[in-house]
Amino acid sequence: MKHKRPIIVAGAILLAVMLAALPFVSACAPKEKTLKIGITTPSTGAAAEKGSPMGHGNLDAIEYINTELGGVAGYPVEAVWLDNGYDAAKVVTNVKKFMDDGCLLFATSSSKMMSATMEIANRAEFPGLVCFNAPVLHRPPQHIYGQMPDYGDDWAAFAAYYMENIWKGPGKPRMALHLLNNTTGYGALDAAKASAERLGIELLLPAAEHTPTTTSEIDSLTRIKTLNPDILYISSTPAPTAVIIKNAFELGLYPGVTIGLGHAGITKALVDIAGADIVEGVYGVFPTVNWGDDVPGMAKAVEYCRKLHPKDEGNLDYITSWAQSMIMAEILRLTVENVGYDVLAKGDVESWRAIETYGIQRLNYDVGGLHGPASYTPGDNRLSKSVRIFQIQSGEINPVTDWVEAPLVKYEEFEWFGK
Amino acid sequence: MSLPSGTRNYTYAQDMAILRTRTHWVLFFGFLVLLFTAPLYLGNYWLGVANLIGITLIAATGLNILTGYCGQLSIGHAGFIAVGAYTSAILTNRLELPFLVGLICAGLTAGFIGLIFGIPSVRVKGFYLAITTIAAQFIIIWVINHWSALTGGFVGIKVPYASIGSFVFKSEASQFYLIITITALCIFFAKNLARTKVGRAFIAVRDNDLAAQVMGINLFYYKLLAFFIGCFMAGIAGSLLAHWIGFMNAEQFSLTESILYIGMIIIGGLGTTLGPILGVVFIRLLQQILTVEFVPFLERTITALPSGFATGVTPMLFGLVIVLFLVLEPRGLAHRWALLKSAYRLWPFSY
Repeated sequence: MKHKRPIIVAGAILLAVMLAALPFVSACAPKEKTLKIGITTPSTGAAAEKGSPMGHGNLDAIEYINTELGGVAGYPVEAVWLDNGYDAAKVVTNVKKFMDDGCLLFATSSSKMMSATMEIANRAEFPGLVCFNAPVLHRPPQHIYGQMPDYGDDWAAFAAYYMENIWKGPGKPRMALHLLNNTTGYGALDAAKASAERLGIELLLPAAEHTPTTTSEIDSLTRIKTLNPDILYISSTPAPTAVIIKNAFELGLYPGVTIGLGHAGITKALVDIAGADIVEGVYGVFPTVNWGDDVPGMAKAVEYCRKLHPKDEGNLDYITSWAQSMIMAEILRLTVENVGYDVLAKGDVESWRAIETYGIQRLNYDVGGLHGPASYTPGDNRLSKSVRIFQIQSGEINPVTDWVEAPLVKYEEFEWFGK
Repeated sequence: MSLPSGTRNYTYAQDMAILRTRTHWVLFFGFLVLLFTAPLYLGNYWLGVANLIGITLIAATGLNILTGYCGQLSIGHAGFIAVGAYTSAILTNRLELPFLVGLICAGLTAGFIGLIFGIPSVRVKGFYLAITTIAAQFIIIWVINHWSALTGGFVGIKVPYASIGSFVFKSEASQFYLIITITALCIFFAKNLARTKVGRAFIAVRDNDLAAQVMGINLFYYKLLAFFIGCFMAGIAGSLLAHWIGFMNAEQFSLTESILYIGMIIIGGLGTTLGPILGVVFIRLLQQILTVEFVPFLERTITALPSGFATGVTPMLFGLVIVLFLVLEPRGLAHRWALLKSAYRLWPFSY
């Protein structure tokens, strides 16, 4: 017992020295000409079930680019990957590290993490790419770009589809909204407030709101039922969406109304949780193809997933982040071709401006068909603007449209949008 | 406080001095030189970490006054930080008032909100008080999310750079000087507060509030004063956080953050000025080293690890370190530091 304490103290000191020495171990690694990019994912914390496969997708795509494609324009891509733990304070320091390390652009998966850090990036002119996108991240357009359409675009695409293909009645259809209590839900509300009148839809406001852990929405749906809606639009994640649809089914609200879902909600998990019978006929909007679809970019993503992270097989988030890394590589390729490596070697504001001007703003890339083409339109920082409308039929999520382009909404022109 | 052998105080001024010996002064100035020349040898990333530590330290010092000195457990500290952050954001963005007005009002508003939620402390304590402060956390965040005309709601609100007169704190280094200066002032205030009548009253309330009342200490006044001071500092920290990050939404102020603040002051040492400093530096650096160095290092070098193992190690190791700390040194890092100083002063004698 007498000798245990010195051992513990020595052990603690040794551990501390090892941890402190890690930066120097990294710094001593041989240097080569690389193209650095920063990637931060919530691989731990409250959103780990999405962040972890997304981190794998990002890094596996970089591995594929370096080993099979010989890097980008002959230069290996060096990914500085950091877990942010879904923590705003951590992601802020992560992005500062990316800038300090000379990364040329950075990517986040979640809209929450990007919202915590976007102003730092905008102030420094450091270009960022966000996978799950919300209007506030790119309106007005600055240095943050959306890989995919935002939660507002989902609403706009579904509403337009509904008016063209489903609504047969006289007058305006009445739409109720059920929203998750964060940017996922309220991104849809922004779009609804901005476009409902133009599309000829009557909104039943105030919108109902729910939490990610809700277990019953009978009260809110009873209130909605008394308003006699034609459409119930839900922008949420799979578990609460399943609760809402089950409750609507129990109240006799559905079938009867048309239910539309944003892209965070319509996944296989929804069908599994709610049951195929209950969600039969529900519509949803999604910006990528299904796992295993016959598109050129799918084969390598599936191969690397099986080889490096087999547990992620079938996970659509893996596909979206694989596509994110492929887009970043294409941005790098365009920039190297246009300005040469030397401008990018500095990893400073001049390099970042080159990335935006000669890479992102000249982008025209089909992403191997994994989602809608990624291209830049002046004044619109959404790179992919396309979604597809799906419908759940006999437990399967089947597309009912081809790619539909979501129109640009200039939210900043509305006085209610964040100053 | 014990003094090194041969050091005596001959006046009250000497007795009250924070820095008493020449060694203290030399070490203090050495530390200040090291601190204020940091932008010369630290990159933006480490300056960013230092800024985060400074902001966290202000909030933790406030919580230490409330919980460590006065014994009033608060699990809603992130909510009070949010009040400060949004007050400053609204005043400087929507009303375009100067940063200093925003900063002071942030502290006062958070202090006032703290007073309201502190009122139950007169009747309840311990776990019951903890529950009422958790309510503060949820109510504040709900109000921020739903008062969208003022706060931006779920969309959030932009916050301009901090500025004084025509000088704008744009660079990481200038923000570092601003944050560190305010942090130093707050710590100096906390250090002195603990040695005043108010500080002694706080300690009396913490140790036995009934006995304190019998001695003539007004429990209602001193408990609410502790809430006001603790939340005022949280508000100041929130204001600095808002201007440093530049964009606020309520998701940045979670219950997890509030619990982490409690963890920081416990690990550092409750009821000491040094405790929050050591606790905050320890936790924030541990977070950074694990996130930035350890996990990517594991991912790069040990490819045979199962999928997700490396990232899973972070919370496990983080938790393990905290548990080991509480088991091996429940009185916190400040106590360990005090033992180290005593050993140094008495060396080579053990006792």
